[in-house]
Amino acid sequence: MHRALLPSFRESMRVLLPDQGIRVIDWGPGTVAALLQELGINPLEVMVARNGALVPEQAAIGGDDEIRIIRIAHGG
Amino acid sequence: MAKSAVPSRIPPCAICGEPAVICQPAQKRHLCGTHLIQDLETRAAATIREGDLIHPGDRIAVGLSGGKDSTALLVILSRLLPGLPEVKIVAITVDEGIAGYRSDTIKSAEALTRRLGVEHRMVSFRDLIGSDLDTLLLGRGKQACTICGILRKKALMDAARDSGATVIATGHNLDDEAQSVLMNALRGDLPRLVRDAGAGRSAHFLPRIKPLAAIAEKEIAAYLFVQDLFPVLPECPYTRYALRADVRSLLAGLESRYPGTTASLGESKKKIRGYCAGTPVMTPLNRCGECGDPCSGDLCQVCRLRHSLERGRDS
Repeated sequence: MHRALLPSFRESMRVLLPDQGIRVIDWGPGTVAALLQELGINPLEVMVARNGALVPEQAAIGGDDEIRIIRIAHGG
Repeated sequence: MAKSAVPSRIPPCAICGEPAVICQPAQKRHLCGTHLIQDLETRAAATIREGDLIHPGDRIAVGLSGGKDSTALLVILSRLLPGLPEVKIVAITVDEGIAGYRSDTIKSAEALTRRLGVEHRMVSFRDLIGSDLDTLLLGRGKQACTICGILRKKALMDAARDSGATVIATGHNLDDEAQSVLMNALRGDLPRLVRDAGAGRSAHFLPRIKPLAAIAEKEIAAYLFVQDLFPVLPECPYTRYALRADVRSLLAGLESRYPGTTASLGESKKKIRGYCAGTPVMTPLNRCGECGDPCSGDLCQVCRLRHSLERGRDS
């Protein structure tokens, strides 16, 4: 939805995945929740950091943000 | 740190207006790091107070695996100590001997206890039963969590008694509690579902308390992350054999579609226990015919497991 509506605002957002993989995504302004949905990740199972700072699912991300998705491993 | 061309639309903290780090759907609010820390410590203190979990003069044995929940538990208890009269803490780490996993978490546990200045004791499955878990589980992978759980509980109980502890604290969180309710329901194990391991104090039976039982797993992770205390560690390699892994995934899916499911399920245990009070479901504890530990049958789970392992070795 974000790429189609705002084609002129496309920038490459780096996303560090829980398995240490990196994806570079063309992403217009959108929320963390939308990104996780796109990636098929349940927000309850991860934390998301935007440029090093933890953000809630409702936070807006995009541009040249560096996003890190951290899996919350089970086990105390 | 990368600069963003996107306006910083981060929801504000409900208390101070600073950028939030977490959403708390149950409380219908967002919190910043500072107020998340305060909130979790306040809620843990309330759980302790309302459940009368800690008494003056208690020596608390904290089960410290080095993972996120026990890390948060030790941090929070250490901070609450000044308000708990004459209470002392000893951290106990159980080394099951799981290759490629436990040594990393033990390093995390050791670093934490040094940082907090907390007494730390280590015990192992090798000490307890003469073998590490990887060896015990050869050909029995599917029983991993059952066997590990029985032995880890025994190792922790013995070490806690040896250290003079009066109570054992574990880092079980709200998600763990909800998962346990569902797992015991799926197994049809009502007695286990209603059992209260926190009740009763005696020389042989140390109560087990769960100060984080009302706090969601994600809140605990965020609490540690904002303080640079979040341990980035691998998951136990035996998790894939566990019913709990499937139940966890199921509950996470349900919670995201029906917020509040986890809390309702976790809290249902108390209600079910109330309905069962005075009925045959609440079986009194016996003493194991071999080692004398409290158990629900003639032999405790550890002794039964020991016999089973010996039969396996002899065949």
